[in-house]
Amino acid sequence: MLSFQLLIAALATGSVYALIAVGLNLIYGTMRLLNVAHGDLVMLGAYATYWSFSLLHVDPLIAVPFVGLLAAGIGAAAYFFLFQHFLRTGSLTDRIEANSLLVFFGLSIAIENLASLAFSGNPQAYEYLDRVIRIGSASIVGNRLAALIIALCTCIGVLLFFRLTTLGLAVRAIIQSRDAAEIVGVSARKTYLLTFCIGFGLAGMTGAVVSLYSQIWPFMGFSYTIVGFVIIILGGLGNIVGSIVGGLLLGVLETFGVAAVGANYRSILIYGVFIAIIIIRPQGLFGTKSTAR
Amino acid sequence: MLSKRTVIGLLTAALLSIPATVQGAEKVRVGYSISRTGLYAVATPVQQQTYELWRDQINAAGGLSIGGKGKRQIEFVSYDDQSEPSKAAQIYEKLISSDKVDLLLSPWGTATHIAVAPVVERHKFPLIGSTASTTLVRDLGAKYMWFTEVTPADFGGDLPKLLGSIGIKRVAIIAMQLPLALETKKFLVPALHQAGIEIVFDQEYPPDIKDMTGLLTSVKGAAPDGVIALSYPNDSMLYLSTAREVGLTAKFQFLEIGPTEAFIQHKFGENLDGIVTIGHWSPDQKAWPKARPFYDAYKARFNEAPDNLDSVVSYMSAEILQQAVEKVGLNHEKIREAIATGTFDTINGLVRFKGATNVGTPNGYLQIQKGVPQIIWPDQIKTADFQPKGPWK
Repeated sequence: MLSFQLLIAALATGSVYALIAVGLNLIYGTMRLLNVAHGDLVMLGAYATYWSFSLLHVDPLIAVPFVGLLAAGIGAAAYFFLFQHFLRTGSLTDRIEANSLLVFFGLSIAIENLASLAFSGNPQAYEYLDRVIRIGSASIVGNRLAALIIALCTCIGVLLFFRLTTLGLAVRAIIQSRDAAEIVGVSARKTYLLTFCIGFGLAGMTGAVVSLYSQIWPFMGFSYTIVGFVIIILGGLGNIVGSIVGGLLLGVLETFGVAAVGANYRSILIYGVFIAIIIIRPQGLFGTKSTAR
Repeated sequence: MLSKRTVIGLLTAALLSIPATVQGAEKVRVGYSISRTGLYAVATPVQQQTYELWRDQINAAGGLSIGGKGKRQIEFVSYDDQSEPSKAAQIYEKLISSDKVDLLLSPWGTATHIAVAPVVERHKFPLIGSTASTTLVRDLGAKYMWFTEVTPADFGGDLPKLLGSIGIKRVAIIAMQLPLALETKKFLVPALHQAGIEIVFDQEYPPDIKDMTGLLTSVKGAAPDGVIALSYPNDSMLYLSTAREVGLTAKFQFLEIGPTEAFIQHKFGENLDGIVTIGHWSPDQKAWPKARPFYDAYKARFNEAPDNLDSVVSYMSAEILQQAVEKVGLNHEKIREAIATGTFDTINGLVRFKGATNVGTPNGYLQIQKGVPQIIWPDQIKTADFQPKGPWK
């Protein structure tokens, strides 16, 4: 039951979950925007990696950061064209928070259907790092191992960025209190733009990572969005550490849980634990009642 | 004596009417809905591509023969049903009532077929179904609708016969909690009991499963000599990765849907060798002389092999319609009669219907061998013998 094989699989799944949740949580934490189009950015990132590999023969591991930058550019465009106006003042911010769900929902449908028309519904996949690698008593396919390493390293990198850099501290300050942060000279607008870029960029990178081992198709994003929301509520809204731990926890729960109680009960187990945590700690495992950090 | 004004008027009317008449006589309008967006969009391109290939082949040969009295080019009228069966029903209503198409082709998916059935029945408009596979079609009582695909009762009920013929005694079953898989399982389990094949592991899993390590570790622990995964494409991919990681070495490994799809073949290459799946068609079956030309034409046009199931049943449905129209013309009652009573030569052999069900095409199973799907059962149509699954690469 407690095999190393299961642990490696749990880490491979959980690290990708964590990467999804960090990007989603950043945007929620700083602006209280519920980005239900997050999974669609994952999809676009997966397609970008697939096409760069198939058409331009770019190594997917090299493509990962570039795809992240591309998605960050989409984030900047989304900020300027969709949200900048609404985030200008406190009263407008309140309204866009209430409406963000619908705005992103519309964006999600538009992205999915445009992708379906542009790329066709045909699923795509590519063969890359496809040999099984032995690690002690466990085995893992090379592309899943690469996904695990990239996802974990990126999560740690994001964590260090928010702990050690001025820009990161500014974002955390906005997450804690926008008004107080602005009083001490933090520019909310610049921070919002930065957060959009990082959040979308991480979604694109997640897509690049997922494309290494999964099928790619226009409607793949929704399930990742759902997973992301479960984790950020589990770990604490606006809490980056909570997202990483929550993602890994969900991976462990999924892999070990299925081995323990059976695959039939997978969804019941995951959502059962989720509901239990919401009841016991409504602020999430790592959240506080009044603030997020 | 006609006045000058009357003559000019008549000539003008005659001239204006010529283009419309010629244009109307020139093309046969064939309507269908397809899911270009929404959840089904992932599965529909092969069907649409197959229709386009059929249309272009007919048009390149001079057009569709109408009751042996001349040929007319085919023109498609198609709409996106957005993966909503109710929208597909509205589209077929529009195609018949408003667009006034001459003929219909089928949409994609079981639920969509069932949704459009009442529309075509009400209008008494013949429609040959393709990508629908459920025993429900037998219960529809349709008079104007037929189904080319075999049903889960065949996929599930016949599998123990294949297992028995290759000496499999202990099987593990894992099944996705979606209709086709569960319907197949409904017929599979009693047939396994009847055949005396022991079920050593039996578990279902939800559609959103992201990791199969726990599940396949348990399967491996049960030590089956056959694994039957009633899967869809996404979880077939998950199975193929995870089975290699946990070292699942059963000599018979079956994935219900996925192994014949081009993207899975791209992804797994030689690791697909030995995997068994549903399918009753191969371009290598010499008894079906139309099979190889279809395969070659499809591959040349779309740069990938046709899907052994959806492409084939879609093309068959178009072939049957074509042959019925060639025989009796465009009268819908005559077409219905021709389909209900006729026998049709298709890329998958002879097809004839008993009620709505295709009783001409036998159920079969494919095994990927050196990258090529080969029919391994039943004996009368097989193109290769079963080979035990070799070690993962």
